[in-house]
Amino acid sequence: MGNVVQRQTRGALRFEVCGNMAGLELLSDQGYRLDGRKASELRKVQARMGVFAQADGSAYLEQGNTKALAVVYGPHEVRGLRSRIRHDRAVINCQYSMATFSTAERKRRPHGDRKSTEMSLHLKQTFEAAVMTQLYPRSQIDIYVKILQSDGGNYSVCVNAATLAVIDAGIPMRDYVCACTVGFVDETPLTDLCHAEESGGVSSLALALLPRGGQIALLQMDARLHQDHLESLIEAAMTACKGVSKVLDEVVRQHLQEVSVLSGE
Amino acid sequence: MIKTEKILHLKSCRGRKVRVVREHYLRQQVPCYSSLCQADCGNDGKVLPGDLTHYVFPDVGVVVDYLEILEIRELQGIVFTQTACQGVQHSKGRRQHNRLRNLLKDPRHDCVLFANEFQEYSYCPREKGESQEKWQTRCVYSAAVWYFHHLAGMMDVVMITEDQDAVAQYSSLNSGVYVISVQDFLQNFWPELQAAHELYGSISQALQEKESEGTEREYTEHLPAEVLEAGIKSGRYIQGTLNVSKHRAHSEASIMTEGLSNKNTDLSWGVLVCGGKNRNRAVHGDVVVVELLPKSEWRGKDTALAEGQGEDKSGEESDSKPMPTGRVVGILQRNWRDYVVTFPPREGPQPQSRNSQRILAVPWDHRIPKIRISTQQAEALQDHRVVVRIDSWESTSLYPNGHSVRVLGRAGELETEVQTILIENCIHVPPFSDAQLREMPVNSPEKPWRVDPAQVAERHDLRESHLVFSIDPQGCEDVDDTLSVRSLAGGKLLELGVHIADVTHFVTEGSLTDLEARARATTYYLADRRYDMLPAVLSADLCSLLGGVDRYAMSVMWELDAQTLVVNKVWYGRTLIRSSYQLHYELAQALLNGEQAEVPELAELGSEEKDAKLAQLTQALETLTHVARHLRAQRDRGGALELEGVEVRAQLDEERNITALIPRQPLEVHETVAECMIYANHWVARKIQETFPHQALLRRHPPPRQEFFSQLVDSAVAGGFTIDTRTNKALADSLDRAVDPRDPLVNRLLRIMATTAMSQALYFSTGLQSQDQCYHYGLALDRYTHFTSPIRRYADIVVHRLLTAAIDMDRGGGLGKAIAGNKELEETAHHINNKNRAAQRAQKISTELFQCLYFKERDPQSDQSCVADAVVYSIRDNGVLVFVPEYGVKGPVYVKNREGQVVAAGQDGSCEWQSGSVRRYSDHITTTSSCGTSTFSLFHHITVRISVRSTHCHADTLNLEVTSNKPHHRTEPPQPRSQGRSQLVQEVVRLAEEAAQEKAARRPKLSREEREFSQSKTPNLYSLLEEVRELALLDLQVDKQVCATTA
Repeated sequence: MGNVVQRQTRGALRFEVCGNMAGLELLSDQGYRLDGRKASELRKVQARMGVFAQADGSAYLEQGNTKALAVVYGPHEVRGLRSRIRHDRAVINCQYSMATFSTAERKRRPHGDRKSTEMSLHLKQTFEAAVMTQLYPRSQIDIYVKILQSDGGNYSVCVNAATLAVIDAGIPMRDYVCACTVGFVDETPLTDLCHAEESGGVSSLALALLPRGGQIALLQMDARLHQDHLESLIEAAMTACKGVSKVLDEVVRQHLQEVSVLSGE
Repeated sequence: MIKTEKILHLKSCRGRKVRVVREHYLRQQVPCYSSLCQADCGNDGKVLPGDLTHYVFPDVGVVVDYLEILEIRELQGIVFTQTACQGVQHSKGRRQHNRLRNLLKDPRHDCVLFANEFQEYSYCPREKGESQEKWQTRCVYSAAVWYFHHLAGMMDVVMITEDQDAVAQYSSLNSGVYVISVQDFLQNFWPELQAAHELYGSISQALQEKESEGTEREYTEHLPAEVLEAGIKSGRYIQGTLNVSKHRAHSEASIMTEGLSNKNTDLSWGVLVCGGKNRNRAVHGDVVVVELLPKSEWRGKDTALAEGQGEDKSGEESDSKPMPTGRVVGILQRNWRDYVVTFPPREGPQPQSRNSQRILAVPWDHRIPKIRISTQQAEALQDHRVVVRIDSWESTSLYPNGHSVRVLGRAGELETEVQTILIENCIHVPPFSDAQLREMPVNSPEKPWRVDPAQVAERHDLRESHLVFSIDPQGCEDVDDTLSVRSLAGGKLLELGVHIADVTHFVTEGSLTDLEARARATTYYLADRRYDMLPAVLSADLCSLLGGVDRYAMSVMWELDAQTLVVNKVWYGRTLIRSSYQLHYELAQALLNGEQAEVPELAELGSEEKDAKLAQLTQALETLTHVARHLRAQRDRGGALELEGVEVRAQLDEERNITALIPRQPLEVHETVAECMIYANHWVARKIQETFPHQALLRRHPPPRQEFFSQLVDSAVAGGFTIDTRTNKALADSLDRAVDPRDPLVNRLLRIMATTAMSQALYFSTGLQSQDQCYHYGLALDRYTHFTSPIRRYADIVVHRLLTAAIDMDRGGGLGKAIAGNKELEETAHHINNKNRAAQRAQKISTELFQCLYFKERDPQSDQSCVADAVVYSIRDNGVLVFVPEYGVKGPVYVKNREGQVVAAGQDGSCEWQSGSVRRYSDHITTTSSCGTSTFSLFHHITVRISVRSTHCHADTLNLEVTSNKPHHRTEPPQPRSQGRSQLVQEVVRLAEEAAQEKAARRPKLSREEREFSQSKTPNLYSLLEEVRELALLDLQVDKQVCATTA
């Protein structure tokens, strides 16, 4: 654990240095961000469910220029180590990966590097909090997420895509899990950061929310922020998550309608 | 919102080209910030007025190159596009971009930013193969077209560009949207705005010149920013501000390193940079990075007198200790400002026709290198002083390139010189604009100003209950402080009140007047004029606590025990007062002494009533004096410095001479008033510091560094005194003892030296200093601020606002408006400190200017007034520094000239130049020649002749020349010369007027009043006392009184 903390601080320092060098104006005096959004506006979210027939559930989600594909298998028998079996609930297995072409510079991304392992772990924690695992004892649910194009907010896009995929697979959840990143610039919280903003030295916070009950499934921040600002930042993140949940809800209803028309009911 | 994509090609960190796709969101509702808007845009904040003839859209290139023209306030209705803003940011960097942002924020300036790239219909995506410039121009044009249609064609729109193709391409596309070049624009729309035309000419010249630069390298290139940063961190390089030596401007400069960044004690005195090559294009004031040279190349500073001698001394045989020496390797931040230069007269016909356009102009400030300016007006501008800005300094060029901004006038004329002083000190005092004056309340005979009933209900009404009076110098028009005192509870308690003009009632935070006052920060007093911080309607009328009229005030009232004078209770609040008496110092003192005095306010009353009132007033004054004595004693015990006691009184003499009053002895009533004000300031400081521990504006006076006292101690030892500088009390006591009964000047000189050793008092925000650093050394108070002169100091206005907020909080109401945070306040404090320093410098230089003008009219050989008595106060290698009490002039006197001759004194003391040698000792200097040996020792009187050394491009200086090493005895009794400077100023003003009248007499003659007024340098005597007390003295002022006593 100590190891993790140390690495995170180093990350924060690097952030600060970057911020000083870049010198971009993230929030103009008129209140516009680099891409023309206002501080509390989300990026455009588009999504489709049921993109693959082979998997039990699948979804494709675009949030701005960040694009992610999520696939769900299960619930099925636990494969591999039998010691992982839980007698009272299902085990959730997450795997996060990025496509070689997802960033501006093409880069081979082997599985199991530290960054994606950490991300997988975060996803796992998030969905353990949301999926009703106690309904499927002794079984396993696999969630695979791939980032096709990365433009900031990878974690939250993964969560949102995976939510749709889980729903597509028909696995019961307590609620949608919606995630969003927020940053803090000039005393104002910026919602849904894009890549330019993330690398511009903003202290960002990722939050996954079960919107109906307002429970927080995961909260992660690895930059420095004054304590006084945390409250307002979380507030902004929760509002953003609720906005995302509305979009997801619409997508699900749309999908249901299409499917039911197709199946002739 | 519509999402589109923008494709950028950026360089990656490894230098490869990377394709980056960025999102770009467009919307229909983008505020247009015009008051003509029909579409209900969400315009909040600054909007463009609807009554203009046109709006201007400058192209990117115009904003980048000609921003200075667009900064002229007369140009109204400028719409900056987002495209242009970004263009500036990319091509000119952050500093220029911030300048543009400040311009947009400034409410005095009619310009707005239109976010054209986020507007759905005005955005145009960049096409394939389109160059950046073409695309930007197209963007600006389409924004202009959109704007025109958005306002339904009610306002014509002019796009100005330097791109001739664009003019040709777009000019006929849309009616109502005109595309023209900058030059055409200025000619057609602003033909009378001469300043803009000249500026345009000079900038475009400079731009052309830039293209045809030579290639030969004169300086080494600066290192890139990353290297510098890494070097500073690793300790290889040193960062600091370049400070060019005043006297050896082209050879010597030093770097002042900031604070604790250097643990190395060697560097605590700074790093020397010798010669132009090592300085590597850095200009005075720049933040630079230096690399230390090897120790073998270290050199010492030159201590010989070389003031104004101009030429380099070949082979500096410096016997002083070698200092760390370095060379500049890079510049972190240019701090170029506006410079005043003089165009040199043309010598003979210039051979090359092409180069004749380029002129090397000499800056007024010695420390600035010559600036190359290309202009077509070289002929017309000969001998004129011109404001210029430096554009760039390439490594291929020996001198920096600049362009002219504004012509001030012919060198040597009074008006030109005064303007020069203002600009060189970065003081901008344009007349108050109409918009600012419109904010002011009206008080005219037709529409007299009245007290607002709502305010009466809110304020504590002291009109009937308290006897309020003011004591000021005679003829003072801005009365910002009044006093009251009465006994309570049958004589057991005393109530002392200080009532200060409530300026913040009239000047609301953020109003135009407030912004202007903040920018000025203080009222500027020059030798012959002053520039007010607030418009006259406030400073001389509505805020001035005149006698017999109702005025708003901010009051501090103490309830004291009548016997022990211990404070029982303090009350702060807004009040309504009516000053009963507007006394002046002499009158008040006369009343105190029980002399027969005529109080003008009581002149019409019957004798019985008059006596009763007079008795009441006298009683109040006596009580006040009693309290003030007690307060003073209290502070003295704490160790308050009485460094300036004698000086202050002498300065009062000067004041009184001006108002033509005879009494010479110091009046106690001055001290009484000052003491009450210090007390009020102190208590207000306590109040705001307690309420806002992290964001109160206080004033501190840090203890001086002991090493600065070395000159004082050494001189004192030479004079046979000892000075103890360990604490403020010890210093004050030892200075009191150091009196030479034969020569009162000695004590004064010692006090002057002590004063110069002090650091200056500063404003600061409490959030930045620990409590023990708030101490005020001079006043011996733990907390102090400025509260009592809001009419002429901005700091007091800030303090008034803080106090109001504190009172509101005490009443239980929360903060009505958020008060400035620590950081913001610190910025304000910094700004005010800077402006105060500039004001003092300007005052000092203007005094020197008048001295020079005075002596210029006189022939040093024949005129008696040019010969004066002087006292030696410091010894140097080749001369001595003397002080001429009669004119308050300080300066060097050489005993060895550049030909190597020395001064030899004859039997009668008269001096002449002969060849010989000089030896310097700690307390005297001797010259040996064929006639024998003559000695000049510390604190001895000599006779000097004063003449003016005219320099063409810089300020004139006074030249002192020794004529005898005996004290000067005037044959005729001294004329009322003790009036010193005031008379001198008057004389010079008169001469300048005459000259002006001869020359077509364009300038209106100064009215009698004005000239009269010009004499009273500082209207408020308390302020003088306080300034001096704050040890922010100017030497010249201190010097002044010495003449008063000798005469």
